[in-house]
Amino acid sequence: MRLSSTGRRAASAVAVVAASALFLAGCGSSSDNDNNSDTSAAGPCGTTDDITLTVGLFGTFGFKEAGLWDAYHKLCPNVTIKEDDTEASGDYWTALQTKLAAESGLDDVQGIEIGFVADVVQNHADQFVNWNEVPNAAADKAEFYDWKWQLASTEDGSDTVGLGTDIGPEAICYRPDLLKQAGLPSDRDTVASKMSTWEDFIDFGKQYMASPTKPKGSYFIDSASSVFSTAVYQGDEAYDNADGQPDVENSDGVKSAWQYATDASAAGISAGLAQWGDAWNKAFASGTFATIACPSWMIGYIQGQAGDSGKGKWDVAPVLPGGATNWGGSWLGVPTSAEHKDAAIALVEWLSAKDQQVEMFANPAAGGHFPSNQEAAADPKVANATNPYFNNAPTGKIFGDIAAQMKVPPIGTYDTPIQTAFGDALTNVETKGTSPDDAWQQALDKIKQVTG
Amino acid sequence: MTAIINPAPEADITAPMPSRRRLRHQSEGGWVTYAILIVVAIVSIFPLYYVIVMASHTNAEMAQSPPPFVPNGTLWGQIKDAVGKAPLNKGLVNSFIVASCITLGTVFFCTLAGFAFGKLKFRGNNILLAICIGTMMVPPQLGVVPLFMLMSKWGMINHLQAVILPSLVTAFGVFFMRQYVMSAVPDELIEAAYIDGASTTRVFLSIVLPAVRPAMAVLGMLTFLQAWNDFFWPMMALSSQNPTIQVSFQSLRSGLFDQQSVVMAGTLYGTIPVLVVFIILGRQIVGGIMQGAVKG
Amino acid sequence: MSVTTTAPAGASSSRRRRRRPGSRIAYLYILPFFVVFAAFSVYPWIQTAWLSLHKVELSTFKRKPMEWVGFQNYVDLFHDHFFWNAFWNTISLALISTIPQLLMALGIAHLLNYKLRGRTFFRISMLLPYATSLAAATIIFTELFDPHVGFIDWVLRSVHLHAIDWQNSKWPAQIAISSIVTWRWTGYNALIYLAGLQAVDQQLYEAAAIDGAGRWKQFRYITLPSLRPTIIFTIVISTIGALQLFGEPKLYQPLAQPSGGSDNQYQTLSLLMYQQGFSYGHLGQASAIAWTMFVFIVLAVAVNLFLSRNRDAKGVR
Repeated sequence: MRLSSTGRRAASAVAVVAASALFLAGCGSSSDNDNNSDTSAAGPCGTTDDITLTVGLFGTFGFKEAGLWDAYHKLCPNVTIKEDDTEASGDYWTALQTKLAAESGLDDVQGIEIGFVADVVQNHADQFVNWNEVPNAAADKAEFYDWKWQLASTEDGSDTVGLGTDIGPEAICYRPDLLKQAGLPSDRDTVASKMSTWEDFIDFGKQYMASPTKPKGSYFIDSASSVFSTAVYQGDEAYDNADGQPDVENSDGVKSAWQYATDASAAGISAGLAQWGDAWNKAFASGTFATIACPSWMIGYIQGQAGDSGKGKWDVAPVLPGGATNWGGSWLGVPTSAEHKDAAIALVEWLSAKDQQVEMFANPAAGGHFPSNQEAAADPKVANATNPYFNNAPTGKIFGDIAAQMKVPPIGTYDTPIQTAFGDALTNVETKGTSPDDAWQQALDKIKQVTG
Repeated sequence: MTAIINPAPEADITAPMPSRRRLRHQSEGGWVTYAILIVVAIVSIFPLYYVIVMASHTNAEMAQSPPPFVPNGTLWGQIKDAVGKAPLNKGLVNSFIVASCITLGTVFFCTLAGFAFGKLKFRGNNILLAICIGTMMVPPQLGVVPLFMLMSKWGMINHLQAVILPSLVTAFGVFFMRQYVMSAVPDELIEAAYIDGASTTRVFLSIVLPAVRPAMAVLGMLTFLQAWNDFFWPMMALSSQNPTIQVSFQSLRSGLFDQQSVVMAGTLYGTIPVLVVFIILGRQIVGGIMQGAVKG
Repeated sequence: MSVTTTAPAGASSSRRRRRRPGSRIAYLYILPFFVVFAAFSVYPWIQTAWLSLHKVELSTFKRKPMEWVGFQNYVDLFHDHFFWNAFWNTISLALISTIPQLLMALGIAHLLNYKLRGRTFFRISMLLPYATSLAAATIIFTELFDPHVGFIDWVLRSVHLHAIDWQNSKWPAQIAISSIVTWRWTGYNALIYLAGLQAVDQQLYEAAAIDGAGRWKQFRYITLPSLRPTIIFTIVISTIGALQLFGEPKLYQPLAQPSGGSDNQYQTLSLLMYQQGFSYGHLGQASAIAWTMFVFIVLAVAVNLFLSRNRDAKGVR
């Protein structure tokens, strides 16, 4: 069977192209289904069509675990909710920025963390639904703590990009059994009285370290970063001045936080662990540190790391040395390009309503997200909540009191990397013996790289 | 550069050689060989084994000193938890589709291109090869941003095509097959075929393909694994509506009660199928590698 | 190189060579690669190069006009001590992680080539490190090397040696990361060598054995030269991979940050690029790093190939 040479060449060409086409066709089909676009914004669910709402979240929101998606589906049977998870908020933010730049691929609801809410407000406010302009705007705004609403709004307050989910009032979580073993007072109110300022806290820590009966290999606090990242928000300014521009050298919060953190390190009360690392995780179970600055969302984390054997060994002291402050917290925004905008708005409003926010704190499966909804915070289910794992501490009251007193300094777009720079500098002090002054310069050096 | 990549021309062996090619007569491995290989095997397997251990203990149990070294029965429960939390099954199916398509496409097209670069004379061979290899030298991470914009313009975001198409032919594969073709397929054999009047395609199908089978097998395995483990681009291009397995792992951390065991159980669930495939195909692959030694 | 035994002796030395037909089909054969490349890689490349000449942030990308700065990003880079830190880290990590790895891979491939019982088992086990998810593997290695709870320091302490801080000290951290890289990629390269070894004609070995050459001589004078294209391949690929090292040092840090340690002690160029581009959002600078890396890698590959050519020309036939 001899073809002419052109015929052969043509046949080869056809074969190659056909094979390629087959691959592309066979490998190209996918199995997702198209969503209907909703035509009417009817009813409390925002739509009467059968739709699927996509909710883009990161890390630890806990809505699914608290059963809220199922509850909403019962309320609005035509709406199915699909969560779109990314583990690390950094990866999530990278993907979100890319999608915002491409103006495509966004979910119907997108989570916004305190670490990048300033950036969203500054650079992407027009790409998100403005909560001052939705039908329920006034009611929505009245729900939240003022500062929580303002953090997600432009300076003049005209544009708000998200409704708050949780906030992170901080207290001190500690191990009464370790303190008792060291011969120190261990009930929460006495402990609280011993650490109302950072100076007192460090002194108490020195007593712990000096005690001859304290457990071997145990330190008072997990890391100097714990002190720093708490204290930095206790001044009038944190990393940014009132205009939202980074300015660490003139910030009272940064300067005092640095002082306290290096003092704590110099006093030898810190275990020098890298937060969120493997050794730090294990230290919850092994008792390597006796206290840690804990926002309400860390309650669940401690339980997860310390396990069943830690039950009853932990407690919460109703105090935060240096004054009430906040760590963390998020919002939910609706991109203007969302496929089902009205339904998404309805969902977000439902999630920030009192009952749901109460559920997110009181339901043990949700993990202790303290409400940003003021009514929810005042609700008896929250205000009277206790936590058996933490020795029946009145967590609702403790965090509620702190939440009511919190002041929150201005935030900026570079806060997260600036915080990391200081954390790295403190790690150098704690593990490499770098002098605090050198480490301060190192931090400033890195911050210059960050802010460009 | 390509002159260096091209191997030196073979020495001409003019003395007549026995014409019947025999099966390989290989040396036996000695006990030292076995000892070394067993140590290597243990080191290679241990971390995967430890994943199984971690998947069956809670965080607190793992925090003990010394940590546990043996898995226990809670493993199945953890796997069930993991499957319940994250769309792992969907991720497995999608990953199989994606990795298989990429592997088939890569092996086929790269063998074609490798043969062309390695044995065919054409204008621009060297330059095009240099460009091909050069494409590997640009760090890939930043490319996701413009690639995302491209894909969304073409409407492929959230579809598997977005993950399959960019990897359908890789420079790595082309270069790999080229090197192998050059060393495994003697020029004389090809010359002889041409003299007999065979077309290039015929040469490819009848002479080259059988000779490079071992390399195709190896390239196939490596490509499959690479596609299976790819995370960064699939994370951006696919939502958890249509995830590959690595993307579906994102839903495993329930955050506050974050249990490492569930994450590890999920990872295991996502790795075992690949291993099963390899073990089943392993005999074939090894057989393929063996057969390749018998040329012609 | 293998030798044919079926071609009649006269044909290959004939002066009258026919021009190879259909070598234009070669363009068709290489077309799929260049189509995919043109569709999916060229635009991102050019885009990245263009961005490197501007001051542009990820957050305002495509939404605010970019500011043209010409080569300023590159100039700033060369004055940036973080860049040089990453540069030297990349080189040291590349050397520590690649050279032992390739030597071991070659040795293991040689051993795997023998007639063995349980060959399939050994060969599959070689690929397991590459099949194990990088995240899971790094978790395990990080635990192993942890200064507080890790096994290695526990051993050191029990024999009364000083525990080493594998996270925070520079060289221990680099050694730990290199061990992860070596663990992960040795089997991969071994299999590539193995495939190459299978192509070596056994009869060369037999002829050499008949001539009285021992195993080592056979390895040096038959195996190595036959493997030359494969060795060159792995040198090029490993150079590129080592200089682009990204996943292992990133996952080695708690929370998988790209800072390469609190003092950037193990930050590679890739991590610096990622940090600039995605953690800080400075796309312009990050793009400049990417293209600087490209130039650097091209030079490094050229140097490596040059060195390996010299060595071979001196040695063998």
